[in-house]
Amino acid sequence: MPERLGNVLRGNLDVVGLGALLVVLLAAYRHYDPEVFTGASITILSAQFLPLILAAMGQSTIMLAGGIDLSLGSVLALAMAVFAVRADDGVLIAAVTALAVAAATGAANGVLVAYAGLPPIIVTLAASFLWGGVTLVVLPKPGGSVPSGLVNAYNNGWNGIALPFLVIGVVLLLWKAVRTTRFGLSLYAVGGNEHGAYASGIGVRKVKIGAYALAGVFVGLAGIGLAVQTGSGDATIGAPYTLNSIAASVLAGVSFFGGVGQLRATVLAALLIGLLTNLLLFTGLSPFYQLIMQGAVLIVAITVKTFATRERTD
Amino acid sequence: MTAVPRTASLPSRLTGTLRDNRAAWAFGVLVVTWLAAILFAKGFDSVSSVRYLLQTAAFLGIVGVGQTLVVMMSGIDLSVSGVVALSAVVCAQVASGSGGTAGIVVALVASVVVGLANAAGTTWLRVPPMVMTLATGTIVAGALLVYTNGSPKSAKIGLLGSLANDRVAGIPLAFVLWLGITAVAAWLLHASRVGRYVFALGNGERASRASGVPLARTAFIAYGTCSLLAGVAGLVLLGFTSTSSLTMGNPYQLLSIASVVLGGTSILGGRGHVLGTVAGALMLTLLTALLASWNTSEGVRQIVLGLLIIALLLAYARERRT
Repeated sequence: MPERLGNVLRGNLDVVGLGALLVVLLAAYRHYDPEVFTGASITILSAQFLPLILAAMGQSTIMLAGGIDLSLGSVLALAMAVFAVRADDGVLIAAVTALAVAAATGAANGVLVAYAGLPPIIVTLAASFLWGGVTLVVLPKPGGSVPSGLVNAYNNGWNGIALPFLVIGVVLLLWKAVRTTRFGLSLYAVGGNEHGAYASGIGVRKVKIGAYALAGVFVGLAGIGLAVQTGSGDATIGAPYTLNSIAASVLAGVSFFGGVGQLRATVLAALLIGLLTNLLLFTGLSPFYQLIMQGAVLIVAITVKTFATRERTD
Repeated sequence: MTAVPRTASLPSRLTGTLRDNRAAWAFGVLVVTWLAAILFAKGFDSVSSVRYLLQTAAFLGIVGVGQTLVVMMSGIDLSVSGVVALSAVVCAQVASGSGGTAGIVVALVASVVVGLANAAGTTWLRVPPMVMTLATGTIVAGALLVYTNGSPKSAKIGLLGSLANDRVAGIPLAFVLWLGITAVAAWLLHASRVGRYVFALGNGERASRASGVPLARTAFIAYGTCSLLAGVAGLVLLGFTSTSSLTMGNPYQLLSIASVVLGGTSILGGRGHVLGTVAGALMLTLLTALLASWNTSEGVRQIVLGLLIIALLLAYARERRT
């Protein structure tokens, strides 16, 4: 029994480590905000962190398949804009439209990566321009209207239920289901060893396109969440999510070379980055320091990761 | 690289390099684009328009030359956007207190420091270049917010103003500066020992390190030069507009990489020529000017430019599938 426990611990080193860090951070957080564990506080915080958590899950999905997405922020803003503009026609239709658009942009990125022989960095960098332009056409000025009832229910709880928290849980369960499918396994196989995966009869191109499209769905949800949280759309709000989603994925132990990583660790890592940002504000530092901290976290995280896994890579 | 005899004269060596290189293609596409611009849009055949094109292409071109050095050793520098802004903002800020010369010196030193940090991170901490430069770029953006408290200054500095706007024998000085920088970079990359190291690292890092190529030294030179040139571009831009802003570098992140790749340099490193980047920068500036001459919204312009860049990449920058 202890041996099995040890194995479980070792297999989930990232999750356990991040969990421990999270506990420390929450203890510090409680010092500044004693009410952090009340229902109202959890609702507000989960609403605030949902976009980053889902965006990071999207980035991790792509990284698992051995890619990278520098257009993530633009796609997030696009989904946000589509939802905010269409929200008047009915929230459900707007959400479906926004998700479809986000998935389509992801699939388009995936097709370029899979079929054109262009490296993901340059494709998604160019695509970030493209999707940024589309967002500006959809929503030239910040605005749009999300029904205030929904905004209120989302941010302040709906019959005592924290909706954003629920959404994250459901998405994680969905991912768990996807992982057990043929596609989910192929994702890890393609990221881990593309030639091997191809030789074992996996449609590498289809898997890559699928990974980008699935990431589009995650990012689309993140965009919708951000629109509901803020009550409107803004074409320029997406940019920080590109860096932070990569930072969270790296912190979670998702390998840059693909094939290694767990999305539940990504959720914890994104939570960690979000809490850290809030803590920074509590300490009275100017919010201008946020960017510096985010960049530093990314460098520290990946350095620690690189040196901790040195034996395995070299 | 082709094995051209060392004794060959400079012109024949130059044509030899171009013939076997995708850089030559870049100039071909540039000429076609320019002819199309003359045919389908008004005002692209005048001397003044060419002059303006050369002048404005210099900003992107100077950043692109530095980016070429980094890309050639299979790195990438996403922090150039931050450094362009850093240099202009810091120069304007320092100049308002202690004069233009001090501003220029401090700005260039600050720029190089960012490049050295990039090199240190990628070689010593082994952070992948994309992540490292993305992170330093973000840190620079944050540091600028803190430094300026969100409101950067404007500054009129005589030297920078004339560098950006004056002409010598009808040729914009900014273009002359760009050509001079390109010439030095061409020597550094294609004729010096450091250049050999850069190409070797671009073709295979492990093999080069095993054969004694100094990774750290080469990385420090490449990333340092890249940031220095981004800083120079920021200064010229400051001279051009007389104001600095926190976002003034943003377009250069994608466009500098695009100018390198459209200039025929492999994004994976190890193949290409710095002259191709000159064509790439001219091409992108021409396309931007063409789109600006249409009466469309900012969004549509971005879409068309994004599509054009992807199309051009598809046309002749595809990599062999590995």
